[in-house]
Amino acid sequence: MMDSQLHRLAALHQLAAPRRATSRREFLRSGAAASAVMTFSATAPGVLRAAVTQEPSNENILVVVEMAGGNDGLNTVIPHGDPIYRNSRPNLAIASNTVAKLNSELGLHPSMRGFADLLEDGQFSVVQGVGYENPNRSHFESMDIWHSCLRKDETRLDGWLGRYLDQVQAENWSDPGAVHLGQDKQPFALMSRDVRVPSIQSLAQFRLRGGESPEFRQTLDQVLESETESTGNDLLGFVQSSTSNAIAASRRMESAGTKYQPTKPYPTSGLGRKLETVAKLIAGGLQTRVYYVRIDGFDTHANQPDAHAALLREVSEAVTSFVQDVNSHGDGDRLMVMCFSEFGRRVAENASDGTDHGTAGPILLAGSRANAGLIGEHPSLSHLDQGDLKYHTDFRQVYATLIEDWLGGESSTVLGGEFKKLNLFT
Amino acid sequence: MVNGKSLDPTWAWEPYEPSAETPWDTGAAAHLMRRAGFGATGAELEELVQRSPADVVTELVEAQESDVFQRQMRSLITASLATGNTERLAAQWIYRMLNTPAPLLEKMTLFWHGHFATSADKVEDAKLMQQQNDLLRSHALGDFSQLALEISRDPAMLLYLDSATNRKAHPNENYAREIMELFCLGEGHYSETDIRELARCFTGWEIKREKFRINRYQHDTGEKSVLGTTGKLGGEDGVSIVVSQDQTARFLVTKLIRFFVMDEPQADDPLVEPLAAQMRQDEMQIGPTVQRILTSNLFFSASVRGRKVRSPVELAVGFLRSLEGSTDAYRLASAVQDLGQGLYRPPSVKGWDGGRTWINSSTLLGRSNLIRRLLDDGKTRFGKASLKEHLASQGADSAKDVGRYLQKILFAVPLPDSALQQITQSKSGRSDKQLRDVVHLLCTIPEFQLS
Repeated sequence: MMDSQLHRLAALHQLAAPRRATSRREFLRSGAAASAVMTFSATAPGVLRAAVTQEPSNENILVVVEMAGGNDGLNTVIPHGDPIYRNSRPNLAIASNTVAKLNSELGLHPSMRGFADLLEDGQFSVVQGVGYENPNRSHFESMDIWHSCLRKDETRLDGWLGRYLDQVQAENWSDPGAVHLGQDKQPFALMSRDVRVPSIQSLAQFRLRGGESPEFRQTLDQVLESETESTGNDLLGFVQSSTSNAIAASRRMESAGTKYQPTKPYPTSGLGRKLETVAKLIAGGLQTRVYYVRIDGFDTHANQPDAHAALLREVSEAVTSFVQDVNSHGDGDRLMVMCFSEFGRRVAENASDGTDHGTAGPILLAGSRANAGLIGEHPSLSHLDQGDLKYHTDFRQVYATLIEDWLGGESSTVLGGEFKKLNLFT
Repeated sequence: MVNGKSLDPTWAWEPYEPSAETPWDTGAAAHLMRRAGFGATGAELEELVQRSPADVVTELVEAQESDVFQRQMRSLITASLATGNTERLAAQWIYRMLNTPAPLLEKMTLFWHGHFATSADKVEDAKLMQQQNDLLRSHALGDFSQLALEISRDPAMLLYLDSATNRKAHPNENYAREIMELFCLGEGHYSETDIRELARCFTGWEIKREKFRINRYQHDTGEKSVLGTTGKLGGEDGVSIVVSQDQTARFLVTKLIRFFVMDEPQADDPLVEPLAAQMRQDEMQIGPTVQRILTSNLFFSASVRGRKVRSPVELAVGFLRSLEGSTDAYRLASAVQDLGQGLYRPPSVKGWDGGRTWINSSTLLGRSNLIRRLLDDGKTRFGKASLKEHLASQGADSAKDVGRYLQKILFAVPLPDSALQQITQSKSGRSDKQLRDVVHLLCTIPEFQLS
């Protein structure tokens, strides 16, 4: 009930301010939609009318970038002016004159030029000192805590984003509520009791095989066009409109795949390719609200400097290209990227030019509506908990803010409690 | 209830007698084989209509795997387990579904896999997953009380539900909750106190070295009260109390009606109760209950045809079995997983929701692409021949005849005339490629998604 009302409101809003006019025209130019519009007056079957009237989405999108392995937050957002930092890390400290300075005390890792540029444009923020009570230092366990918001002694059946999807799922969603990009195991955060999230490797999965043959395509269009809307069998009616929407989606994806031009070429890294695919899906008008991508390798116990720099560069370059690209295609004000890791690393370096599992770390947010700059204090280097940073912001506060203020959900049922929101968006 | 009208439960469950209005024809036989198995070939359908529907259902319910087939499956399973790879396990199950001489047994094993959902993603032990699969098959049409008891002591299940240890000082409530909420009663038919008390019954039940055992030092020997029964109850008593609730038969019958008859609307109490009452009288025997459903007026009535969405496994295995198809089972297992039905990998303890939840823009395109891939895959054979040769052997060599033949074996609802017309107009040729295009096209239109 609520959902359909919201959708109707969103549709009204769109009529009042058709800010995605170009995409809509482009959409209408595509085969099935155009031919259906021509015959709209009397004969267009309801099945196709539904596909034509389905507006490309206008709703906010969250892209989650999981930095798996435990990102060294101290060498990401660097307290370069703090002598304790340099003393704790004789081999790993990043020199003050190389960091991208945020202020006299803090700076970004020099390989994160992209994020520094985004920050200058007011599109990047760092939520500092994020963690949780009684931190667990096992990758698996801590990741499960971030994904499920539940501790080990609690039964974990679903993840935070899955519970959000359960809450907002609408009968008339023909596109998946969330999409996981990648060949790895589906993130637990997306597990839901009621909603299935597809994992896709490439745009090809949104393309109809055989669709490249004009004859096949034409016949299929003609068959679908001449289908009369089922009146007796609701299920058939549902599958008919879903099929029309799917074919329309595949056509938009084809057009996005061939016509879509990123403003600047994306980096050729794994993350760059995944985010370029996400950009195409967004440009294709999918109603999907959440995209999830993962980059692994942050478990830098040894020979950290080069490896960590390369990882941070990959994240920064890919996310920056992505945000700029989506901005230039007109969807920037509904995009937010959140980069997180299951824990930070210890303050002191180890004997192998690496760092071991620690606790609190920063969450990075990118998007034109990010409340740019630093959010919260950098955790103190002098008040440690057995050599580890103390968190001051619960990760569920970030989630609560994303759910309520970005995705438009109700956070306490998703997170299992009330968490004080932060000021993350403008 | 169907089409908004209320159903007469007496009529619904009376044995179906073929009539002019509801004939026992190839359409009815195909409906039966789609729901109770994984489809049938044209020749099989012609053979089935020569017999009475009641005999056909009896044979389905009583069918057993042959010794030869079982030996073959054993060796496939051993080979899969040797790799330790649960995707290999999924492939051998696909093979079993494609080739089994007892399709209803396999369909019910799949039903129980979704009911007692356990995922290899968490259990991470192929051997235990297969052990559970064997257990489900051995009781698939048997005694539900026995099945419920054995699944309560099944290592994969208890590992999956974090119940491998259960100490009296800290009773683990997880299994106690799920056996009531998801396996037997459904939400609203027990209290939180029942969960706590039942959890105490299960204390001492644990998995050690991959085996179930009772640790009597950890068993709470005190008095418990579960669902109104009080005593010094143990785990077996607990299971038996839950299974013997009147609600259990109602819960199972509701789910079986959804599985075999229609996705929606959910059967209401007046429709469920007569079958539930008989199931209780049968001391919770599954086979006779399934048999009653499959021989009923309701099951064969026109109003329930096409009232189910094909699951990915039904879609793929059904497509192949109807066309005597064989293919690379490993690739197929992974394809159905991409469409949301990973075997040995249900998404949650709730299993697959089925119905409309199978369908969205990405899975619909995936379903069409899966059929295309099957058709184009060099390893796919139809009756050990090419598609063209196979269809010709069934008397379908023109596009028009192919349309008619596929309607008969694959479609639960009539193909729109327009579809048949378009196909016959545009595809006058008879090459294998053109026939594959025709089949792909028909399997992309909405009607194909329904069972």
